[in-house]
Amino acid sequence: MSRRYEFDDDSVVVVVGSGAGGGTVSNELAQKGVDVVCLEAGNRLSLADVVNDAAVMDGKMGWHDKRLGAPAWLCKTVGGTTMRWSGITPRFRDFEFRPRSTYAELHGTNLIDWPLTLEELSPYYDKAEAKMGISGTHGTPPSFETSNYKVLKAGGQRVGYQQITSERSAINSVTRDGRPACQQIGFCWSGCAVGAKWSTLYTEIPKAEMTDHFELRTGAMALKIRHDNNGKVRSVVYVDSGGVVHEQKARAVCVAGNVVETTRLLHNSNSNLFPEGLGNSTGHLGRNYMRHVMSLTLAIMPGEVNFHRGARQSGIILDEQRHDDSRGFAGGYIIETVADQPYNIAAMIGGWGKETADFLENYTRVAGCWITGEDPPEAHNRITFHATERDAYGLPVPVLEYSHHANSVAMRQHAAQQCETIYKSLGAKRVESRPDVGGGCHNMGVARMSERPADGVTNRWGRLHEMPNLFVSDGSLFPSSAAPNPTLTIVALAIRQAEHIADAMARREL
Amino acid sequence: MDQNRLTRRRFIISVIALSGAAGAVVEPGLFALSKAWAESPGRVDETVRRNMVRMARLLYPHDALSDGVYANVLEQTLSNIVSGDIFARQLEEANTALTERSAGAWQDLDLVAQIEAMKSIESETYFAAIQNSVRAGIYNGSAFWKHVGYPGPSKDFGGYLHHGAGEIDWLPENL
Repeated sequence: MSRRYEFDDDSVVVVVGSGAGGGTVSNELAQKGVDVVCLEAGNRLSLADVVNDAAVMDGKMGWHDKRLGAPAWLCKTVGGTTMRWSGITPRFRDFEFRPRSTYAELHGTNLIDWPLTLEELSPYYDKAEAKMGISGTHGTPPSFETSNYKVLKAGGQRVGYQQITSERSAINSVTRDGRPACQQIGFCWSGCAVGAKWSTLYTEIPKAEMTDHFELRTGAMALKIRHDNNGKVRSVVYVDSGGVVHEQKARAVCVAGNVVETTRLLHNSNSNLFPEGLGNSTGHLGRNYMRHVMSLTLAIMPGEVNFHRGARQSGIILDEQRHDDSRGFAGGYIIETVADQPYNIAAMIGGWGKETADFLENYTRVAGCWITGEDPPEAHNRITFHATERDAYGLPVPVLEYSHHANSVAMRQHAAQQCETIYKSLGAKRVESRPDVGGGCHNMGVARMSERPADGVTNRWGRLHEMPNLFVSDGSLFPSSAAPNPTLTIVALAIRQAEHIADAMARREL
Repeated sequence: MDQNRLTRRRFIISVIALSGAAGAVVEPGLFALSKAWAESPGRVDETVRRNMVRMARLLYPHDALSDGVYANVLEQTLSNIVSGDIFARQLEEANTALTERSAGAWQDLDLVAQIEAMKSIESETYFAAIQNSVRAGIYNGSAFWKHVGYPGPSKDFGGYLHHGAGEIDWLPENL
């Protein structure tokens, strides 16, 4: 089914990574007849490999190579983090493309506006939603209302929220695109056992393979991107699972390894021409690393909720996705249902003794939500590399340096209060909020797009400002995090980028 | 820690298989566990064992769970080939520290004093190791799951779509 390409075939686009960005850009290019070789560091699972056990699935698909500093919850498997995500897919709002213009100057931050607008991205949001089967869009019904969502909705209505919806999920609400509707299994974060949740593993990748313009190489860890004397990329060096090093020639390269590996690959590809790494002549590579403001609220309700019965995340409140200075912070946030198994609830609540145990005694009466909110870019939040420590590939170990801005602290305090009010309005017996739970599952920035080369790493198409045929295709592109979960925007940008690349090739500009 | 959890799960599965009652939760009795510990010479002695089972309960106290459940959690971590010996030393360190902070035996203090002694060592590495072991063992364990009514994996019965998803009967009509 799948095409095989020669190592010295320099007509192919090499895509590094097979997740939301890499999987999508691969398939979109292949559909347009562009030949693609996709290098994925992990293995290819099948639906039969998915079991309802978080520890086992983390072993099968988590990224476990050594990293230091702030933890990031990433995947090394075909499909990348689309295997682990919850499928919540709100769009950015107009102001979120213009944070610098909207928020003015935020002390200590490095805010810029996006080099594109909502109007410009909207057609690609449409394409992404249609591709992924987002519930409540393009004729697809809203998602099933879980009991956890019903609690959030009722409490949200009591406190006066208007924009409460079980739409905007990339988990099939009906049988669609050869995949079943959600069976409410409830282990979304450990891979969807029936394939109802959109993952590139069983959508983009097999569709690309059907085109005869695509080859997936698994267990292929990219080590270095090589270029010629004019700064034009000519190949990607990678090591296969047997330890054999290969060099695949390329007409263009798209890097989509999620923020840590994207930074590392560009950094490690330094050369005489680019001594600080590719795309780093202005010093922005690896900087402005953003993770989303997160805050969790769990409440013991007056009756049974059984939030384990169904999708982990099944509905959202969008009223706070706005900029309003009177709240005491810039940017907005989105409230989203969240559910988890007893062990993770104990870990998230923290502590020990009677208080923690009593909370767990009430497990079936617990309702929960968390927020994702805009995290401003700061130059000192960055990915660097350890001076001496090396991982199993012999590569320098990444170090994730991250701290919270005062704006983020103010936002999550506001959010915790709002979420607590929602549950108290329904007579919650006990409410607990915890900051920064889930930090590191949304990773953005490090190779941001900018209008001016001096302000970022990539241009409005995600191409490196300083190289003609090297692209970044994942969340690393984001100049700001905005409030929404990032995947829909990553997919929309990847569709748009693939169109740009194919057009440029047709015009012989690439 | 993941490996400990896996080891424990395998243990539970094998106990269920041996008992011939699929789905039944078998709690090994204290006698059987004492025997198992006694058969691991040099691991931990009887006093340490007794105190640590008590500490495990005070970490995550659930009246419905027997001492055997807590003892089994510690035993599973001790039986880990990689980290078992380190864990045995950590239990001994905790026991020594608790004893040093008690006039007489820690076990004989009243509940408040026992907890106070535990709080005084909660920033220690060995305390965190024991806490992690007990938290994972109890809350990933079928005894607790059965007690609170959490069924665990749902894939095999087809998920909750036709098994109670969305059911809630106490929400107010008037919002």
